[in-house]
Amino acid sequence: MTTLLEEQVQAKVDLPLLQNIHKAAALDEIYVPGHRTCAGCGPALAYRLTCKAAGQNSIFLGPTGCMYVANTSYLCVPWAVPWMHTQITDGGAVASGISAAYEARIRKGKYKGTFPNIYVFAGDGGSSDIGLQAASAMIYRDHDAIFVCYDNEQYANTGIQTSPQTPYGAWTTFTPPGPKIPEAKKLWPKDFARGMIALHPALQYVAAASISYPVDLMNKVRKCANVHGSALIHIQSICPKGWGIRSNQTLMVGKLAVETGMFHLFEYENREYTYQYQPKAFKPVTEYLKLQDRFAHLKPEHHAKIQEFVNQGLKRCGIKIPVEAV
Amino acid sequence: MKERYKKYIVEIPEEMSIPYAGIVESPKVNGEQPMMLTGGWRIYRPVVDHDKCVMCKSCVLACPDATVLLVDGGQKIGFNLDYCKGCGLCTWVCPVNAIDRVPEIDFEDGVPFQDALFLLPHVEALYAD
Amino acid sequence: MAEQYKDKKEEILKETVKMTGYEDAGFDWKSEKRVGATKFLTGLGAVAHALKMADIDVASSYPIRPYTGAMMMLSQMAARGELDVEFVHGEGEHGQLGIAHGASAAGARAFTGSSGVGVMYAMEVYSPISGGRCPVQMLIGNRTLDPPGDFGSEHTDALSTRDQCWIMGWAHTPQEAFDNTLMYYRIGEDPRVYLPQMNCQDGYFITHIPMKVVVPTQEKVDKFLPPLSFPDALDPLNPLGHGPQLFPGQGHVLEATRVNAMMGAFPVIDEVVQSFNSIFETNYSPFVDLYRCEDAEYVLFISGGHAYTAKFAINHMREKGMKIGLVRPRFIRPWATDVLADILSKFKAIGVVETNNAFGAARQAGILTLEVATTLYQIPNKPVLTAFMGGLGGEVIRLDEFYYMGDVLAKAAKEGKTERTAYWIGFHNI
Ligand SMILES: Cc1ncc(C[n+]2csc(CCOP(=O)(O)OP(=O)(O)O)c2C)c(N)n1
Ligand code: SF4
Ligand code: SF4
Ligand code: SF4
Ligand SMILES: [Mg+2]
Repeated sequence: MTTLLEEQVQAKVDLPLLQNIHKAAALDEIYVPGHRTCAGCGPALAYRLTCKAAGQNSIFLGPTGCMYVANTSYLCVPWAVPWMHTQITDGGAVASGISAAYEARIRKGKYKGTFPNIYVFAGDGGSSDIGLQAASAMIYRDHDAIFVCYDNEQYANTGIQTSPQTPYGAWTTFTPPGPKIPEAKKLWPKDFARGMIALHPALQYVAAASISYPVDLMNKVRKCANVHGSALIHIQSICPKGWGIRSNQTLMVGKLAVETGMFHLFEYENREYTYQYQPKAFKPVTEYLKLQDRFAHLKPEHHAKIQEFVNQGLKRCGIKIPVEAV
Repeated sequence: MKERYKKYIVEIPEEMSIPYAGIVESPKVNGEQPMMLTGGWRIYRPVVDHDKCVMCKSCVLACPDATVLLVDGGQKIGFNLDYCKGCGLCTWVCPVNAIDRVPEIDFEDGVPFQDALFLLPHVEALYAD
Repeated sequence: MAEQYKDKKEEILKETVKMTGYEDAGFDWKSEKRVGATKFLTGLGAVAHALKMADIDVASSYPIRPYTGAMMMLSQMAARGELDVEFVHGEGEHGQLGIAHGASAAGARAFTGSSGVGVMYAMEVYSPISGGRCPVQMLIGNRTLDPPGDFGSEHTDALSTRDQCWIMGWAHTPQEAFDNTLMYYRIGEDPRVYLPQMNCQDGYFITHIPMKVVVPTQEKVDKFLPPLSFPDALDPLNPLGHGPQLFPGQGHVLEATRVNAMMGAFPVIDEVVQSFNSIFETNYSPFVDLYRCEDAEYVLFISGGHAYTAKFAINHMREKGMKIGLVRPRFIRPWATDVLADILSKFKAIGVVETNNAFGAARQAGILTLEVATTLYQIPNKPVLTAFMGGLGGEVIRLDEFYYMGDVLAKAAKEGKTERTAYWIGFHNI
């Protein structure tokens, strides 16, 4: 049997889409056991699923964040493929350089293998805030690389601080609630993936996925890999520590985020959006909020405000599915 | 020249040496990273009831630590207890409630009764003599 | 203008014209038998030509004067098909350095460059590149830092990064810039070193003034500079993890290995410069360029392009019987402490011409004085040391200003002291 790597080295082939969970489960483990992420860490699951989908002809880059620090403590790495730390600021830039290096080296006969899939695995801070410029530039220049934003909706590694992806109303160590600021965080989050689509007309493929829908996530990763040029995937990755839930609730909360319309699963391909989650009705956001300690201080009026935000979001996306009454 | 500048070179004793530029070996595909054993974190151990299990493999894709295993030639679910952190996600995801969470303390080889197994190699070295 | 040179104004002007009139002063190379095509190239042009011959794989650019011209020339070479390079337009200097970092880590010969505030904007990334032991080369065409938007040359930009473990030095002519480009890659890519390099040249004075450059044959360049071999490159066929966190108590060990790479570069530089001299028939001394120092009693210590003017000034002062010479370090990092201590111990007075500013530093001097003073510390009979703060904000240092420095030093050598620890050129009389 030839390994995927040997195949890839002979001629770069597209990664086939996975028909079912059995096919997905059978794939090689690239992100192997032996890392210090919290029990039930959503970003770690996102990493594992992404790696599993990516296979061996891959290079991963880890901008500073939990998925650098917690994964590589004490001189060890859990990735069976080449991996490199980048600054939180420049994941997109380093990926651009690696991609350019492979372009040049293959063209000039200095490298014998085929072009690897290059993944930047950046947190929401490393994607939508301090790393935004480099991410945008990589995508604008259309380097053959995949930008993955694992979104735990906060700066987790520094001890849970607000980021542009932190939702309105969330507690973080920089946005504590108090009599003057009862709702804690007052700003509304960035719409990262759609914003990137608007900003980069050359983008061929963008997806939003959730760890609670693993096969969907893995197929989206594979579609990213099969694009010649830049692709972007935004993965909602629940952080039990920062969100104030128990380790076994990670997937439940991820599922509820989708079921309440707080997070949309979508693909953007051929200049069109498709939405993967089309229920009969969306659940009220209260069901989602009340599970998490980070929203524990919120009053009914705040819940209503967030519900209105979600409704508007669904409307903007042209999703005409009703929301159940509380 | 060489002699003259020797005094500027920091001699690094063998026992302090570290990999060049902090570049390390990657683990093997489908392997493990033995430098970071995490099984010792576990409070609850996942235990599967093979009679209930319908082999849907949801639990395999639910584990952040890749510690739900397909054993017996892929016919059964098993766990890699050297690394399983006991998060309970496999239990939550199972559609037929085939995975129990049993306190470690109920096992003869439970985490509280093991000592050296979950120590990092460098810490273990400290205890060696 | 110093009093005693007032009547010589005409003569000085004539000399100045001769200097800038593309005459090759040929001080260092009188005995050299360089072979190759003679071109008139600016410092930037010289570097671009050298990069083409070095067959770089990836270049990352971002516009800022004055270094930009090198990138413009590279992009033209790429457009004409003369150089097969991935030319990546960075989103800023920080990104530029990130791109070069990634390219180098993936085994490509990478080049980037910047000036002034751009050099500072990339500050975060210098240490990760040297720590990752990626032999990126960066061209710096020096530019004064803001405020205001001052275009002139000043070395503060590059010198502010001196502690980031990059090989660093200045060329004082376009020819030297060409040569340094090749030498730096060879030094940085030596497996005993593997460090990035800052190939610096003064903005405008070197970057933009064309002078004679002998461009050697490709065959000779290939003989001198083999293709980059980087065994730890990011490669799915050889998976490695670059830059995991360390064990507690290992950080200082990693830093020790990095300092060893830098200090271990001394013998490598020696070797590389000798090899360069033998292949290209030049006569560089590896670390220090000495000009009329044999019987000198006092010297100007000066790095970079102003040394070129200074050499003319020294000729004039010598004609008047002054025992002055010039010491020009070819490398700022690594700093050749022992070589310099040997040389500097012979003089009675040393004036460090600072073309940088270190506000509030010891002795109210610039960055180089700190290094020179430390170097002198190991000498029993220390020469008098002073600094000349000149060329700041991109001002030229005129011949008469060098004469002024000569006078200060002559007095210092005689009296064994100076009035000031730092003379701001143009502000005070002797
Ligand atoms: C330039 C810079 N500023 C600040 C930091 C500190 N820092 C380390 S990790 C981190 C949080 C990263 O957040 P995110 O990208 O969302 O990843 P997460 O930790 O949430 O997984 C920050 C701010 C840094 N490493 N570099
Ligand atoms: S803090 Fe959150 S993101 Fe970080 S390792 Fe823990 S669970 Fe994962
Ligand atoms: S308890 Fe958590 S870590 Fe252990 S096998 Fe189940 S999902 Fe994996
Ligand atoms: S989720 Fe439950 S039923 Fe499915 S394979 Fe795992 S243990 Fe068996
Ligand atoms: Mg985050």
